[in-house]
Amino acid sequence: MFTDASILFQIAGIGIIVALIHTILKQMGKEEIAQFATLIGFIIVLVLVINGLSDLFNQIKSVFLF
Amino acid sequence: MKWIGALLLILATTWMGFEWSNRLMKRPKHIRQLKNALQILEAEMIYSQLPLQDAFMNIANQLPNPTSSFFKTLGKNMQEKNVDLYDVWKINVEKFMQLSSLGPNEKEILNQFGRTLGQHDFYQQQKHIQLTLTHLDRELEDARDNQFKYSKLAKSLGVLAGLFIVLLLI
Repeated sequence: MFTDASILFQIAGIGIIVALIHTILKQMGKEEIAQFATLIGFIIVLVLVINGLSDLFNQIKSVFLF
Repeated sequence: MKWIGALLLILATTWMGFEWSNRLMKRPKHIRQLKNALQILEAEMIYSQLPLQDAFMNIANQLPNPTSSFFKTLGKNMQEKNVDLYDVWKINVEKFMQLSSLGPNEKEILNQFGRTLGQHDFYQQQKHIQLTLTHLDRELEDARDNQFKYSKLAKSLGVLAGLFIVLLLI
């Protein structure tokens, strides 16, 4: 069933690092760059998740549509 | 193998961050050296009334390295025949910019100053030196602000960027 959990850890790691970068940039008074960094992190994670989701939908298609 | 690559990547970005913060730390120091040099130059011109070449050599002897070598090569280049001081000055400023951590503003100030050097009488020359010193003071303030703000940020951002890229590639 669900064997490979590494993508979960990867996404969690990216989340932590992006949060740290956001905090540091905000502390130094670069709010707009902090927002931008968070946005970039979000987009990267979104791409990863969408890859996984497309796999899932392909699986479903192959089950129901033969 | 994968882990060695990850380690190398983190080391590289960390090093880049430290290099950046190092530049930020060194800029006020170099501006201060430049100010010292101009003050010595003023004294040598107004009170000792040395020719520029000897004044440059004196400055080179009294100051630490990036500034010292700038004035030393300047003095040496002036010993050649038929050289225009401003041309020599411009070339040397270009070299000096690569050795030191100074920014484009300082380069412009130095070039402006070089254009006035040796064109006027004592009184005017002293005024020009004072003007350059004021400009450098303003830059020094700016550089110090930047140092306080960004030198820590540069270090931690280097490490974090490395970790981020490694996580993306794993």
